Amino acid sequence: MGLFTNEDQVVCTVGALKKSVYQFHRVNSSFFSHKIMAALKLKKSVVGWFTLAGGVIGFFSGFFLAIYTSVQWNLIVGGKPIVAFVPFIIVGFEATILFAVFGNAIGLLTQARIPSYKWLKNYDPRCSGKHFGVLASCKPGQVDELKNFFQRQGGEIREFDDHRQAKPPSWQG
Amino acid sequence: MTQLTYDQIDQTILDSLNPPKKSYWGIVAILLLGVLIGAASWVYQIFVGIGVGGQNNPVAWGTYLINFVFWVGIAHSGTLISAILHLFRAGWRNPIARASETMTVFAVCIAGLFPFIHLGRVWMVHYMLPIPTQRLLWPNFVSPLMFDVIAISTYLIVSSLFWYTGLLPDLAVMRDRSTGTRHKIFKFLSLGWTGAHEQWRHYSRGYLFFAALATPLVISVHSVVSWDFALGITPGWHTTIFAPYFVAGAIHSGLAMVMILMIPLRKIFNYQKFITQDVLENVAKTIVFTGLIVGFAYVTEYFIAWYSQNIVEIESFRWRATGEYRWGFFIMVLFNTLFPMLFIFKKIRRTIPLLFGICLLVNVGMWFERFVIIVGGVAHGFSPHAWGLYAPTLVEYGIMLGSFCLFFFLFILFVKHLPSISMTEMKETIGKGALDHRA
Repeated sequence: MGLFTNEDQVVCTVGALKKSVYQFHRVNSSFFSHKIMAALKLKKSVVGWFTLAGGVIGFFSGFFLAIYTSVQWNLIVGGKPIVAFVPFIIVGFEATILFAVFGNAIGLLTQARIPSYKWLKNYDPRCSGKHFGVLASCKPGQVDELKNFFQRQGGEIREFDDHRQAKPPSWQG
Repeated sequence: MTQLTYDQIDQTILDSLNPPKKSYWGIVAILLLGVLIGAASWVYQIFVGIGVGGQNNPVAWGTYLINFVFWVGIAHSGTLISAILHLFRAGWRNPIARASETMTVFAVCIAGLFPFIHLGRVWMVHYMLPIPTQRLLWPNFVSPLMFDVIAISTYLIVSSLFWYTGLLPDLAVMRDRSTGTRHKIFKFLSLGWTGAHEQWRHYSRGYLFFAALATPLVISVHSVVSWDFALGITPGWHTTIFAPYFVAGAIHSGLAMVMILMIPLRKIFNYQKFITQDVLENVAKTIVFTGLIVGFAYVTEYFIAWYSQNIVEIESFRWRATGEYRWGFFIMVLFNTLFPMLFIFKKIRRTIPLLFGICLLVNVGMWFERFVIIVGGVAHGFSPHAWGLYAPTLVEYGIMLGSFCLFFFLFILFVKHLPSISMTEMKETIGKGALDHRA
């Protein structure tokens, strides 16, 4: 892992790593960096689809709950019909938001693959401070070359033995 | 101009979590005593009956409902600052967002207690839950009180999740800088967060959606609270202006509470470099804006009463300003609309004691606004023979004291155990160079 204190160095290093023979794994940073994200050219997250699915489920669940309870205890209140859609919009709206948030949370957890403490393998705690960590792996004979590469980019070196752990964890383990 | 470094941000904020002085525990003890007084008052009410409170015909809704609306209102600015200003990319919200979100969570919890207290027979609370029972009874969602149950529960869950999501990267910072049991706790709470780019990719998107969902929610929740009143035919309540009027009032009082919390926090923890004069000034300017909306709502209520030529409505509003509770009315008008206008003057906006003092008055004024609306409405309704007055009892004062002490008790525990400013967002801010760090 190369540890840098400047976002621009990380952007250059990521660009150079992608063109090199080394395998780039990840960047660790203590905040969301637009520059780094732009350099990584990542696809848009799919969390929004979970949010949408939650919202749709919530919308129908809210109306269903209000209608079901009214039909079960069919007391006319204030002259309104038993299934009174106007007041049920409020229940539908709140349930839409609630379930959309649940969907969003589920999407975030599943896509970011947390909770999983496997992320802590090959991780340097300095990355939650002022450093940015760029993790890359290489063949056994190229270790010194990779170290030199990071040093040329202006980074400090942190070596991990088990490069296989560098992959992000998955629910399948 | 001083530019902060990432190290300075971490160090200053983590220093706030150092073991506290004895005076801290003294304040905690005093607040805990207040909480115990409140709890004892409630227990007394449960054993003796709801009659120990001053609520009676015609004023069946007293301080319990006033405090409920007050605390829901306080809860609103947390989401306003955190979610709405996040969507607008207002960099000045970053130093105060965490404390505001925390304020929201605690205020909603406390607000949620009051319907339980007001129930009297609190063990019957499950009647409001849509669960199958042997009695085959179900709650009726036509009732605005049931709107409240679902809206406040949703708001509590959403604001808690929003708060925890925002806290996640900071919990990882604390995990990496702690040892022993604290390390284990923060390791568990941070869920394995390492700030890997794959995590950030989904996190930033998820957080944006949280903010986008919280924004309409915050508006809906206080609108729903206002409909507790507006859907009744009581004079002074039955008006379409209530939803925006309540939302503006909620934000007004919430912003004032943010200032009340932030000003001492800034001094005690040396946060002047984060919570700058400019940040406080921006909050003060927003208070001027919300104060104008609230003032406009007060005037509109009187205009509509006059324009409608409805004698009951006219009498209701005449009595508000000239009746037995006129002092409450004048506190409301002065403290909520006239005093905050002093923030128009830059010198006043930039004088910390004045900022603090006026914000304190705004909160007093907002409490009295709820008093004037809730008590004033039912005390002077349609039938003159049913008019009556209300005064809170000692039990109600005890519970009210307990609620305020509980809020500050929870907040004071929070600031010593979790970062009260988001380290992540502060670093992102200086990364973008968005905030002017004049101390």
